[in-house]
Amino acid sequence: MALLETRGLTKEFGGLTALDGVDIAVEEGELVSLIGPNGAGKSTLINTITGQLSPTAGDVTYAGTDLVGMKPFEIAQLGVGRSFQTASILPELTVRENIQVASFAAEHGSFRVNFLRRRDSFDAVQEQTNEILETIDLDSKADMDAQSLPYGDKRRLEVAIGLATDPDLLFMDEPTAGMSPTETEMTVDLIGDLLTDWGMTIFLVEHDMDIVFDVSDRIFTLHQGQLIARGTPEEIREHPAVREAYLGGGDGA
Amino acid sequence: MSMDTIRNSFDGDSSVLSWETWNQIKHTERFVFLSSVLFVLLFSYTFGRAPVISDVFQGYHGLAMTILIWSIFALGFNLLLGQTGLLSFGHAMFFGTASYAAALFAIHVYNEPLLVVLVGTLAAVTLGVVAALILLRLHTVYFSIVALAIAQFLYFLAREPLVEVTKGINGLDIPRAPLLGLVELEHEYSGLVGTLLVNNLYIFIGAFFVAVVALITRIRKSPYGLIFKAIRENETRTAFVGLDVWRYKFAAFILSAAIVGLAGGLMAVNTQFAGVERLYWSVSGDIVVMTVLGGLGTLAGPVIGTFVFFYFKGIVNGFPTLGNYWLLLLALSFTAVVWAYPDGIWGMLTDFTAALRDPKELLSNARQRISDLVSTGGDR
Ligand SMILES: Nc1ncnc2c1ncn2[C@@H]1O[C@H](COP(=O)(O)OP(=O)(O)OP(=O)(O)O)[C@@H](O)[C@H]1O
Ligand SMILES: [Mg+2]
Repeated sequence: MALLETRGLTKEFGGLTALDGVDIAVEEGELVSLIGPNGAGKSTLINTITGQLSPTAGDVTYAGTDLVGMKPFEIAQLGVGRSFQTASILPELTVRENIQVASFAAEHGSFRVNFLRRRDSFDAVQEQTNEILETIDLDSKADMDAQSLPYGDKRRLEVAIGLATDPDLLFMDEPTAGMSPTETEMTVDLIGDLLTDWGMTIFLVEHDMDIVFDVSDRIFTLHQGQLIARGTPEEIREHPAVREAYLGGGDGA
Repeated sequence: MSMDTIRNSFDGDSSVLSWETWNQIKHTERFVFLSSVLFVLLFSYTFGRAPVISDVFQGYHGLAMTILIWSIFALGFNLLLGQTGLLSFGHAMFFGTASYAAALFAIHVYNEPLLVVLVGTLAAVTLGVVAALILLRLHTVYFSIVALAIAQFLYFLAREPLVEVTKGINGLDIPRAPLLGLVELEHEYSGLVGTLLVNNLYIFIGAFFVAVVALITRIRKSPYGLIFKAIRENETRTAFVGLDVWRYKFAAFILSAAIVGLAGGLMAVNTQFAGVERLYWSVSGDIVVMTVLGGLGTLAGPVIGTFVFFYFKGIVNGFPTLGNYWLLLLALSFTAVVWAYPDGIWGMLTDFTAALRDPKELLSNARQRISDLVSTGGDR
């Protein structure tokens, strides 16, 4: 059985159908990418799966659990993490604290009565925080306020927070947008590590086609809310509907 | 980690002393604890009695106790507004209800100050549970306004329909009772203890003040301190890392209600009285002013804000001619401070001390602030 499955997933905003009967299945351990032009409904798909939006119709199951109607924190606790398209960080907290919040959620669950215990006494949380800081190469900036980071670092912190929730399935919404070439390369390497060393399943939304074709096991193509193609990178590259809708006409791209 | 070694060396025996070690030390729990004890020891004397300051201050020992109690109130309020970002315009409900519960318990059940304060606190917690269930469904301004509405509802309830119980606008008088049946609260000391602490009532209130400061310091250093701030900064993100934001807000609300309830209970013991004015909306407004003026989200801020507020209300008020304008003067200072220093008086002080160490920083801070004010049109 697939780790994540949607059936007939539909989301309407007033008269606009942002998702139109989307069926996808993601197997454990694979990296799938979702591509599509601006406004195709990519972020809406992530929002609907992770509980930020409730679907107009359709089902979402994760590891056999029905996600529809669950709250975002409950879905996160099941092991579904995400990084946001626009950096959604905690601006007045330090980089370390940003990651620590997620580490506490991963180690302690959604709520715990521990307001009389100092947080520096929770060794597992501190260790996990340090590990993430190193992984994402932000340890030298750990004590800076998140808001004072340069844009590319904020994007990386965004990914780091997603990682620190220790997910089994991680949604990454355009993680490399606004990153320098070096940072992009680092992020692509990181994605490789997450798959092989951390055993994660990754759902990637990405505009950079070189990255998508390079890292993906399978690719979904969304166009005006409808899934118009799915397949391996080779299949998608040659797919006429994709070339038509996304890669910009017959030749090109 | 180097920060830990510095902390440890303070907790043991420190030989290095620089600004950097000072920055570490001042955040240790032990330092905060000792400072609050020292503050209680010296506060009444320097504020109410020391001949060096001015004879205008003479005889303000009673005001010193009022300020300590309201500081507890402000610290409890700040836990909600400063740490978690929830602005309640109705915190008088906890202060007033706790006062009533304490008085009723003392009059009808058993008059022992510790128990009386405890009952006040528990009453505030109970009310807190009910209020939280209503208020935490609401966001931003609706949260604030409905909190105000609940407090005003309780005010009118206490004033008219429950007049049999509350004695309406006359209020309830509580006889003075000894602590644990043994210690007379009004017993006055002589000698050094008498000069500094005056009587047992001051020690009683001061001990609660120190305990509340210690409790809040611990909460701030616990996972809650971090998670409350995370909710204040970005609620959506906090939910998406897997934290139950509602429950943490609930916890912040109840902790805040408990601390404010403690202040209400202490106020009943201190004044031997509980009355309807403690539920009035202006009490809710005053506590917002004190907390914001002193410095939101900090530990010293609410205490300083309370002090300044009562300085204006109790002392400037007594000045010839100028006194008539105390509220106006307070409002002007409030606007001036908060406009230039969004982090309140405490933010202003930390800025100055930083500047003393490093004049260049003063210059760059000032420039930063001016450019901030210009770019935001001053509407921060
Ligand atoms: N909360 C919302 N309310 C109303 N309309 C929305 C909302 N969120 C998205 N939409 C609309 O739904 C459509 C799909 O938007 P979505 O953000 O999912 O696109 P996307 O594929 O992520 O685009 P991009 O590549 O620009 O990020 C757009 O037309 C958008 O305007
Ligand atoms: Mg998007």
